[in-house]
Amino acid sequence: MVQFKPAREVVVAGVGLHPFGRFRGKDLATLARDAVLEALRDCGIRWVDIPVAYFGHVYYHGMSVGETALASLGLTGIPIVNVENACSSGSTAFWQAYWGIASGVYDLALAFGAEKVPGGPVTVTAADSPERFIGGDHMMAGYALRMRRYMEETGAPPSALAQVSVKARQNAALNPYAHRKETFTVEDVLASRPIADPLTLYQCCPTSEGSAAAVLCARESLARYGLDENRAINVVAATLTSGNYNGRGSDHSAFSPYRTEPAAIAAYEMSGLGPEDVDLVQVHDAATIGELQQIEALQLTPKGDAWRATLEGRTSLTGDIPVNTDGGLLAMGHPFGATGIRMVHETVSQLRGEAGPRQVEGARVGLAQCSGAGDVTTVHILTR
Amino acid sequence: MTTSADHAPVSVDSGRLRLDAATEAGGALLGMRCLDCGICLFGQAVFCQACCSSRLEGVDLGYTGVLYSYTIVRVPPDGWPGPVPYVLGEVELAEGPHILAEVIDIPENLLRIGLEVQLALRPVQSGESGPVRMVYKWKPVEPISGATREE
Repeated sequence: MVQFKPAREVVVAGVGLHPFGRFRGKDLATLARDAVLEALRDCGIRWVDIPVAYFGHVYYHGMSVGETALASLGLTGIPIVNVENACSSGSTAFWQAYWGIASGVYDLALAFGAEKVPGGPVTVTAADSPERFIGGDHMMAGYALRMRRYMEETGAPPSALAQVSVKARQNAALNPYAHRKETFTVEDVLASRPIADPLTLYQCCPTSEGSAAAVLCARESLARYGLDENRAINVVAATLTSGNYNGRGSDHSAFSPYRTEPAAIAAYEMSGLGPEDVDLVQVHDAATIGELQQIEALQLTPKGDAWRATLEGRTSLTGDIPVNTDGGLLAMGHPFGATGIRMVHETVSQLRGEAGPRQVEGARVGLAQCSGAGDVTTVHILTR
Repeated sequence: MTTSADHAPVSVDSGRLRLDAATEAGGALLGMRCLDCGICLFGQAVFCQACCSSRLEGVDLGYTGVLYSYTIVRVPPDGWPGPVPYVLGEVELAEGPHILAEVIDIPENLLRIGLEVQLALRPVQSGESGPVRMVYKWKPVEPISGATREE
C-alpha cells in the first residue's frame, strides 16, 4: 500500500448542494452549475480565483459537460477534468481536488458533480454485452445476493435490514434537499414491491437527479483569498482504492464488500485517527444491506454486528455512531456524480454545527465512504 | 423457439463458454489457471488478476458447483430476454471462481444456499427476431419433482 503523505494541510472552505429529485426541465450542465454557485457563495470565493476544477458524472450527456457547466460562469482557461468512476465519481473528483492542493500544485480547487440517472434497474455493462443474455448485470440483484448471504451468516432478521431504511427516511424528513422525505415503518418497507428477493423497493435507493460542489483550499492560503478560518473544515484523510482478485470473481459475500477495508485502514493511518474517534459517518447505502456491510468494513462495529447496532438505535441521529445523517442514498437519492460530494456537504455542515434539526451534538470527526463498480472505494475523514 | 442444425446458436460468450457436443453438458465453462500462483479465474485473461503473471493456461472448469447465494429477480434489467421473475444464482466452483447465471428447473421454495447444481445450456433469443445465443445456466444436480421445464 502506498503511504499517503500530503505536503500541506487542506480544508473544505465552501460547500453547495442542489436538491435531489427529478428536474425534467433542467439540463445536466445547469444542474451542475447551480451547486457550484452555492459553494462559491458559501465561502465567498470569486470564480476567477479558482485555478482547477474536477467534475464527476457517469451517464452520457455529450462531451466535456464539466466545461459546459462552468462556461456559463465565464471562461477563465483553467484545467477542467471530467471524472467517471461509477458511483464514486463525485468522491473521486473530491479526492483529485484534495491531492491537487495537498501535493502543492494548487492553492484552491473546485470539486463538483451532477447526474440525471435514468429510471429502472442500474446496469454496469454496455447494452450489447453478453451479460444481457446471462442476467447477471443488475445492481440491486447483486445487493440481494449479498443480503441473503449476510442474513444466512449473521442471523440478521428482515426487520433489521428494513430498519436501515426507516432510519434513513427519519433523517431525510429533517432535510429539505432529500428526494424522499416521507417516513414509513418496518412493515411498510417489507411490504413494498419486491425488486430482487429479499430486497424490496423501499430498501433500494431511488435513481435521482441532483448536484453538489465543494471548494477546497490550502489552510495556509485561506487568508490570502479572504476565506473564513472558522468555517473551514480539515480534510485529514483522502484515500481511493480499486479491487484485488481474491480467487472468486463475482463475489457477493457477507463481509468486506467492494474491498472497503483497505481504503478505510489507509485513511485511519493517514489521519492518525481510528474508528473509535469517528463521531458521524456517511456510507454507501445504495441498498439497506450496503449500510450494514460498510459500517462493519469501516470497523465501526464488529463484523456481523451492524444489524444489532441498527436495531438498538446506535446508528440513528441520537445514537453513538450516527450513520447517513442526511438520509443517505436511500432517502437523499443517488445521482452518481453528486453523491460523494453530497456526503462531504453533509459532513461539513455537521462539523460546522450548521445541520439544523439533524445536528449531531459535539461532532468533531466525520467520515464519508463511497463505493462504485470496479470495486472502487473512497474514504475521506474530515475534522473541525 | 426453434433451432435447426443450419442455424445452431453460437455461444453467448466464446471466451467463457465453449460449445462441445462431446461433453456431458454440451459445452464447458472456460477459465485460466496461473502457473505461478495457482489461482483460477473465469473467462479469458492475458495476465493473472491476482499476481499479474503472464504464465496462464486455459482450463475447462468443472460443470458442477454449490449455490453460494441467490435472488429472485422480479424487476429485470433492460434487455433481459427471458421470463420474469427469474432466479439469479451465484455458484461457487471447486476451482474457486463464483459464476452468476440463471438457476432453472427448481421451484422457488426449494432454493437454498448450499444446493448442488450443474451446468445447463439453453438457447435464448433476444427479442422476437433478435439473435439466438446458447447461454449457460444452473440446474439442480438431483432432479426435483414438480419442477417445470424452462424451455
